[in-house]
Amino acid sequence: MRDFTDLDQLLKALSEGDRGVFTRVFELLWGPILRLCVHLMGETDGADVAQSSMLNILERANEYDWRRPALPWALAIATWECRTQLKRRARLRETTDEKPSETDNGASAEEQEQRVLLNAAMKAMGLLSEADQQTLIATYWETAPAVSGATLRKRRARALGRLREAFRRLYGID
Amino acid sequence: MESIDLSRLARKARGRYERARLGLSFAGAAPLIALVAATAFFAKRPNSVAFFGGLLFLAGVALLWRGRDLRRALWPGVLSGLIPLVFALVANHGHGCSGNHCSSLCVPACVAGGVTAGIVVSVIATRMRLGWGFWAAASAISMLTGAMGCACVGYSGVLALMGGFSVGLTPQLTRKVFAAS
Repeated sequence: MRDFTDLDQLLKALSEGDRGVFTRVFELLWGPILRLCVHLMGETDGADVAQSSMLNILERANEYDWRRPALPWALAIATWECRTQLKRRARLRETTDEKPSETDNGASAEEQEQRVLLNAAMKAMGLLSEADQQTLIATYWETAPAVSGATLRKRRARALGRLREAFRRLYGID
Repeated sequence: MESIDLSRLARKARGRYERARLGLSFAGAAPLIALVAATAFFAKRPNSVAFFGGLLFLAGVALLWRGRDLRRALWPGVLSGLIPLVFALVANHGHGCSGNHCSSLCVPACVAGGVTAGIVVSVIATRMRLGWGFWAAASAISMLTGAMGCACVGYSGVLALMGGFSVGLTPQLTRKVFAAS
């Protein structure tokens, strides 16, 4: 994995006007932004939105607050861009009275967004051990697991921590 | 997924970055307009104030846009330049007489203000350990700020300011040059 603390310093330098680091910042950001947008929007739209996200991120590089980590800041802008595009697409569909496609099954933009996030969470969950998966599923369905009390709480906290880590590894965000 | 022309995207992003930076620089230098307007109100020669004030504003935008040491030079330069500016504006309202001869206090005020501003800029640059870019930019901004007031007796006032400023700058500048060599 790339060293993103380096990105923090590079983006700070860029926000102060050091043009020499521009290309390196661009290279470091492009991969995670493209991955995130493709995950959220699909392959074709994801690539387009990743490009517009990159333009937005670098346009706002001057406003970057260097006390905060750079990658989550950039990913937040990209996520927002994906969300905006999803909404715009839904509005366009409403105005053109276009029928929802077969794959949409008539779902609203919010439902599609939820579905995308759920898929992402399920993918991250697939990386966990079976015991962790069972703990989280039991928590989700509020069913009685084999253990209870403090042991369950500790097991659940550990499983959630590992899920968060898997999510972060996959998408670069918490 | 179609292949993406990353170098074209990077060029476009660079253009957006520069435009955004320029916009922020205009906004950041906007308080200078208020300073120029206030000076024009009190000064005897509003045309000179407009000339030097315009240059000051453009220089301020350029420094903020370029960034790094140059960006840091703007406000120390303006603040130190306020010293000769205020001296000159106050001196405009008085004159000194000896015998039958009376003269404006503008030139001595500009010399004194220039020396003080030069000392202030050099001390700030030395304490903050900033490079030559800062020295040059802060000096230019300081002199442009002061020049708005020192044009009270024409360009001789501005020359007096520049002379005084150079004198004020000299001790620290000499130290820096010898330390570097």
